[in-house]
Amino acid sequence: MLTLTGNGRGIRALARILPAAALLAALPLAAGCAAGTSLLDKESLVIGVKPDQPGLGVKKDGKYTGFDVDVATYVARKLGKTARFVDAPSSAREKMLARGTVDLIFATYSITAERKTKVSFGGPYYVAHQDTLVRADDGAVAGVRDLSGRKLCQVTGSNSWRRVKEERKVAVSLVSSPSYSQCVSQLLAGEVDAVSTDDLILAGFATSSTRIVNAPFSDERYGVGIRIGDLDGCEAVNKAITEMYQDGTAKKLLQKWFAKSGLALSFTVPQFEGCG
Amino acid sequence: MTLVRPAPPRRAGRARTVPGRIRLLTALAVAAVLLLAGAVAMAVAHARDGLRVIGHTAGPQVVATADLYFALSDMDAQVATVLLAGQETGLGPGRQAMLALYDQRRSQADRAVLQAADLAGDDATAQATVRALLDGLGRYERLASRALVLDERAGHAAGPPSSQALAVYRQATDLMRLDLLPKAYNLTLDSGTIVRRASIAELSAMRMGGIWTGVACALALAVLLTLQIYLSRGFRRTINLSLLAATVLAAVLALGGVLVLQRETEVLTHAKEDGFDSVLALSRARAIGNTLHGDEIRYLLDPQRADTYEQVYLDKSQAVMYVPAGSLDKYQAALDSRSSGEGDFLGFFGSEASRLTLTGQRAAFEEVLRRYGEFQDNDRRMRQAAAGGSPRDAVRLALGPAFGEYDEALVELIALHRREFDSAVRDGDGALTGWDVGPPAAALAAILLILVGVRPRLAEYR
Repeated sequence: MLTLTGNGRGIRALARILPAAALLAALPLAAGCAAGTSLLDKESLVIGVKPDQPGLGVKKDGKYTGFDVDVATYVARKLGKTARFVDAPSSAREKMLARGTVDLIFATYSITAERKTKVSFGGPYYVAHQDTLVRADDGAVAGVRDLSGRKLCQVTGSNSWRRVKEERKVAVSLVSSPSYSQCVSQLLAGEVDAVSTDDLILAGFATSSTRIVNAPFSDERYGVGIRIGDLDGCEAVNKAITEMYQDGTAKKLLQKWFAKSGLALSFTVPQFEGCG
Repeated sequence: MTLVRPAPPRRAGRARTVPGRIRLLTALAVAAVLLLAGAVAMAVAHARDGLRVIGHTAGPQVVATADLYFALSDMDAQVATVLLAGQETGLGPGRQAMLALYDQRRSQADRAVLQAADLAGDDATAQATVRALLDGLGRYERLASRALVLDERAGHAAGPPSSQALAVYRQATDLMRLDLLPKAYNLTLDSGTIVRRASIAELSAMRMGGIWTGVACALALAVLLTLQIYLSRGFRRTINLSLLAATVLAAVLALGGVLVLQRETEVLTHAKEDGFDSVLALSRARAIGNTLHGDEIRYLLDPQRADTYEQVYLDKSQAVMYVPAGSLDKYQAALDSRSSGEGDFLGFFGSEASRLTLTGQRAAFEEVLRRYGEFQDNDRRMRQAAAGGSPRDAVRLALGPAFGEYDEALVELIALHRREFDSAVRDGDGALTGWDVGPPAAALAAILLILVGVRPRLAEYR
């Protein structure tokens, strides 16, 4: 309470209150700024990519190249940020985002309902499809059902073979292998007759002695992993991807990395997952 | 404290004399009251803007663009249905009715594209999407009418059409499903972003307005109290009633302002979260659900691509209501074994299940789940019939009422959210009645009261 004895004191008391009141008004503003942890607030982005996926993300002499890397570079530039790349192994992707060791992940990261409970997804920036790779001289395979009675490569830890043998109930005989690059060697050596997984992955391995069947039978939506709840960041990433398709960059990059394989590519913007 | 220190040397001026001090305090009091009225008026204006954007302009427009996807998807579904039914008349609603529905959806899509163009405003990226969508829609209509003409010339029983008609329809449906529908969907997401940003901006402006109202109120009360004390001590009078009335008026204005802001914040949040967000999410679910039905028909229409259409059907079913399952058989079995309304599931229905807050929402939602289960059950029998060599039965099941009943239940649930949204907006509008004239009128009255209270004291010095 103001207890005043002399004239003019009230004015001085008032002069003491004013700055305090102004400070009080400014407090919530400062608090509001501190709470924002969107990737948009950063100047430089740490982006997780695959180090060993031909055509998509490969690390050689400390430098990353591939379609995912080029798309990530474009998106970072559209957001006005610089980008630094790190390895994002499949098993660690959710953890890396939650801990904040990476800001974005571009690593053949398929959007699934289960992952969406832990991660927000920008994009997809491309919808890959499961397809089949055979030897170039094997003209008898036009679709997945033609694999009946043939030897299909089964990669440990991958579910792609299930889609053929269990879901489509195609009578293939499985030959196990530690990785898809090993599968392709086995295909060329005649130890297996077909390799079946995401078409972009197959395209990365394709050579002149292999052929992609171009009979897609599933949608693999490659999303951009973002810390869950970063709506502003996610919406900005989606806008950048839209522009990448509008200005022709997507077409250019897809052709640069995958046209050689003979894969039928799609150059129109995919249906986004939505950020909320 | 200042009391023990010698008084600082004073500047010569009007503030040194008693009437000068009274004038200074009066001017301060008038300024503080104006600041208070300004703060309240500004905050109320933001509340009004927020309500206008969400409730009257962008909000309803966004809901209309969500219908764009539905209309486009249903256009393609109607074309597929006509091609599948062929010359059969006993199956489905009949060729003319389906074509009429196609036309209706096309004009619905045209209207929604206009709304989307309006919403895009000066956002170049969104405008480019709208243009691409319009161009593509023209191309689609040409392809669709060619497929229909080819089909009518050839004439066939229920089932796959002639290979020429099918080839043209493939181009049409690929354009629709892989190019136009994704763009339409992304536009709806963009428009949702516009509303989300607007509501965040208005809510934070209202919060700031509330803080400024508090500060201005404290200031006005402090100055008025100081003036009151100064007058009563200096002139040895009792309380100055006019000044007291002005003080009470300022306090009432501030309190009323803060209360109405609080109310509007609640209304806006409620309208956004339980109304707008739910309507938008369920409209997306309805649009995706419509393509489910289209994929059933295309599965029968194009046996060569049946595997692809079945996989896409599963993917979309998972988006609507997710239960873990690697194949369609397993998905439909998992749906069956779920006890109704309970259990964990994700997808659009999962988010709805996690927010059952409105009256009647649970019952309406359970009806949707029940109808969805029946629709999936119908789908299983349809695929069994197709695989088991009774294509006519399969066509009959695909064109049967199962999908329509599910869609109707979903429309009812959306309407429930829509009513909640409308009534929240009406409440918000109602609570703002009188608040455009209230603050300036109260400020004017308070200023007059201050002047009336001070004038006799100043008169003693003339």
